[in-house]
Amino acid sequence: MTAMRRYLAVMADTDDGDASSNPKADEETKSEETEEVSVTVDAEKRLEPPTVVEAQPTTQQQSKISILMKAAGDAPILKVRKWAVDPDRTLSTVIDKLNKILKTAEGESVFVYVNQSFAPSPDHKLGTLQQCFGSDGKLVLHYCKSQAWG
Amino acid sequence: MIEDRQILRDIWDGRIPVCFTLSQDEYTSPDQPDVYYLLVPRLSYFPIVSDKVVRFFSQYVQPDTQGEMWLEFQGQPLKWHYPIGVLYDLYAADQDQLPWNVIVHFQKFPESELLRCGSRDAVESHFIATVKEADALKHRGVVMSGMQKRDHKQLWSGLRDDKFEEFWTINRRLMEQTVENQFRSIPFRIYQIEQPLIQKLFQPLHEDGKPATLKELLEQMLPSVLTPQPNNGGSRVLIQGIEPPLETPLVWLSEYMSHPDNFLHICITSRSLP
Repeated sequence: MTAMRRYLAVMADTDDGDASSNPKADEETKSEETEEVSVTVDAEKRLEPPTVVEAQPTTQQQSKISILMKAAGDAPILKVRKWAVDPDRTLSTVIDKLNKILKTAEGESVFVYVNQSFAPSPDHKLGTLQQCFGSDGKLVLHYCKSQAWG
Repeated sequence: MIEDRQILRDIWDGRIPVCFTLSQDEYTSPDQPDVYYLLVPRLSYFPIVSDKVVRFFSQYVQPDTQGEMWLEFQGQPLKWHYPIGVLYDLYAADQDQLPWNVIVHFQKFPESELLRCGSRDAVESHFIATVKEADALKHRGVVMSGMQKRDHKQLWSGLRDDKFEEFWTINRRLMEQTVENQFRSIPFRIYQIEQPLIQKLFQPLHEDGKPATLKELLEQMLPSVLTPQPNNGGSRVLIQGIEPPLETPLVWLSEYMSHPDNFLHICITSRSLP
């Protein structure tokens, strides 16, 4: 995981560059990336019994869901935009991850929206959001550094 | 279509008497502080009503140790972003003891269990986001997105200031249904103690046009609720503090017994044996 974090941090640097060359950040200008990012946050680990997430990719109950991360406003586009996540994780996992990748400074926040309309409560399970608001089995999340949709 | 406003009014007027006590290990004054009583709306949220509580207890704690206030009931931290009535029904209704005794804390915020609130603005954002989420389920979000910003403000201020008319003038539009424009899905959440909440898609009508009932929802989401358990008295299904007949059409419950956030909040608790 540490290696993955470092990898993401490096990517975040490249992302900043991408953003400046892509003023219309919301547009899907990049080819679909299929690389999987396992989202794990230490704070959540404490609450749950220890599970080996990466070692059992084929377990049916734990099958991951895919979310597509889209930039809104002036947020930089991510290198890896398709994330595979455990449906039992909460939205706060995604927000924490984004904070790391986007290197959110203190006092800044990341906002994550569903349907380009509402920011769900961070304790919402990703599986719930995908079931209620996903299309083609995929959940699309828009993220930005300022409130995009009141 | 909303026909019986008296029911809406009765739901709106639901109140819970709460007795707030400062946590024993948190006061620095030589004397034990008094308790503080409030009669609070079931439909409201704790941060909306607890300004006075914070002010009252602040005099007993050292300012440098005073963090964000959080509340606890019998060891259970209370989530500020759940409506007060839902918290009561879930954790306290089975004990049937009023006033509801809640402990006030200013230290050791349980980060892993509670979201931080910060200010009333956070409550407003959370509330409006939840209404939008419910509208996304009911009408693909077109009613909320078709409203003016001031209409959203009015939904919030109606709730915050406990103004029934002000709130319902706007909320009516979110509850309206015509033959061509039915709710696509019922916004509901099912709560159980120490279980994640259940929220899924559920259509209000069967293919033959018959309305789906509360019982059918539970059969699909949580069948164990409907089977009697030998070791306890079975389950109680509480909405707004009452046990509605399980045959009640879900769409009726959604129109009349939803919270202002437009979700139907259903609490499952165990029935204590007599």
